[in-house]
Amino acid sequence: MRNKPDTEPHPILIQAEGLSKVYRRGSETVAALHGVTFEIRRGEFVAITGPSGSGKTTLLNLLGAMDVPTAGTLILDGFDVASLTESGRTQLRRHRVGFVFQHFGLVPTLTVEENVALPAFFARRNDARQVSELLETVGLGHRRNYYPSELSGGEMQRAAIARALVNRPPLWPADEPTGNLDMQTGLTVLGLFRRLNADGLTVLVVTHNDVIASAANRRLDLRDGRLMGPDTGPTSMPRVPAGPG
Amino acid sequence: MKEFRRRPVRTGITVFGVAVAIATLASLLAFERGYRRGLVSELDRLGAHILVVPKGRPFDAASIALHGANWPCYLRESYLREVRSVPDVATAAPALMQATPLEDGRSMVVVGITGDYLKLKTGWTLEGHFPASGLDVLVGSDVARRRGWRLGDTVEIPGMPGSRTVSGLLAPTGGADDGFVFVPLEEAQRILGRDRVLTHILVRLKDPEALDGAVGRLRGCNAGMDMNIVPLTHLFRTIQAMIRSTRGWLGAVAFMALLAAMTGVSNSILMVLSERTREVGVLRAIGASPGDVFRLFWLETLLTCVLGGALGLFAAMVASRGVESWLRSHMPFAPTDPLVRMDPLILCACLVGTVLMGSLAGLLPAWRASHIPP
Repeated sequence: MRNKPDTEPHPILIQAEGLSKVYRRGSETVAALHGVTFEIRRGEFVAITGPSGSGKTTLLNLLGAMDVPTAGTLILDGFDVASLTESGRTQLRRHRVGFVFQHFGLVPTLTVEENVALPAFFARRNDARQVSELLETVGLGHRRNYYPSELSGGEMQRAAIARALVNRPPLWPADEPTGNLDMQTGLTVLGLFRRLNADGLTVLVVTHNDVIASAANRRLDLRDGRLMGPDTGPTSMPRVPAGPG
Repeated sequence: MKEFRRRPVRTGITVFGVAVAIATLASLLAFERGYRRGLVSELDRLGAHILVVPKGRPFDAASIALHGANWPCYLRESYLREVRSVPDVATAAPALMQATPLEDGRSMVVVGITGDYLKLKTGWTLEGHFPASGLDVLVGSDVARRRGWRLGDTVEIPGMPGSRTVSGLLAPTGGADDGFVFVPLEEAQRILGRDRVLTHILVRLKDPEALDGAVGRLRGCNAGMDMNIVPLTHLFRTIQAMIRSTRGWLGAVAFMALLAAMTGVSNSILMVLSERTREVGVLRAIGASPGDVFRLFWLETLLTCVLGGALGLFAAMVASRGVESWLRSHMPFAPTDPLVRMDPLILCACLVGTVLMGSLAGLLPAWRASHIPP
């Protein structure tokens, strides 16, 4: 178990071993994950699938360092998540994780540009050029001064994607990123995911959407908090439109 | 600041609450400072330690003597000898005062005095000379300015028959004397038909420390039963004590207003927090530390309070004239100087109070926000 990242990036980005998570609701305990073990290599595009309540979001929250496992080991980019302090997990989320939410999670009183720059602001960086480039990459250069309420669903998700990329994190978890989008817009966002994955980003998507799942080169299928069968290997890619930019 | 646009009505009400509290605090401090300074200045300008007035209410008598009005009763001139015979008395200056109403609602206050008056008013600067004959008058600066009177002018004084010559002009004193016309005492007694009577006697002691003894001796003289001996420092101290007790109540009101405003701000930001819980969770997820979130909410509260405080101070300054005239109309004794004195120290104190209030009000919402998980 490593507590510090090596100087050279390790090919394994995520190493989960016997990962369990139990929630307490009053006197009741709910086991969301039961001893899940897997590895994710850098540059993979992994889909986490399964029915509602199977533990997908719980697993994604653990992988995004937003929560700690009740049992088991989770090594994220060389850091043992369970042994980190709150401050250590914040640093991990700030520099090594770029989360994308189903509900976009944009701050309504900030412009698109300001929203995209937020993680850099929290990291005490001011890289306006990087923000501009990302906005161009996701096709929102012309909307930089718009407020989220002035954007379409697809545009909001693209702004959220740009925000997730601004600190150049190696891991990019996304929770149902196309769940609030229509089919066509969802495919556009998927195209963007694939393009960014092709550029070397590790993409981890929780999804109910078969098109998204089949676009991934690996699938982790969860049932009642357990990983089902061996991982699916790389799949044949469906035809998706190229992302904007 | 952008967050203020999200709920403008609620933010506006919260800011208004802070503004009211800070305006109350600023007005109270400005009044306390203005009144205290006013009383001290009034005492200095008067140049007397004791005021001898006819029997009656000493506060009313002091107010009439200081600000000029008609007297309901008089002192016999013979009492002056008895007052002067008290060993502690350095100077006893007799005066006869009468106010004649004018068409514009003001009054022309004429004061009959002797040369003894000048021994008390060491701060006076005269252009010309003290009235030497019955037809000479010494004019206060406000009267001269309003009526356009200059030295040597022949003038007619309302309430006095015939013409008079302006023999002296009094340089501005900043007190009630600026609004008086002074004539020789005997002439005033003659034309006002008040032969051998006075309205008040101003007494300066050889040693101000001997005030209590002098007051006792004056009360013990033959005329003591017919005179009211008003030790001015005691009188002003009594007035200050009365004001202080009132100020205590007002202070409590201001404190409660501040507390209510602080609670209001805190509550408002807590409501904001409950609406933005998910947003805070997102901020934590994208890299905000608990400290970052604490600072965001604490600064938002602080800004709300500072904005309210700035508006409150502005309102207090704008309303100070109105507050001044309201206070003057409701107070039994008000010095001539400004009652509401808004100075930089008060503004700074209120701003510091605002920042302190904002800092305290923001603690709970900021602490709660910082504990929201990603």
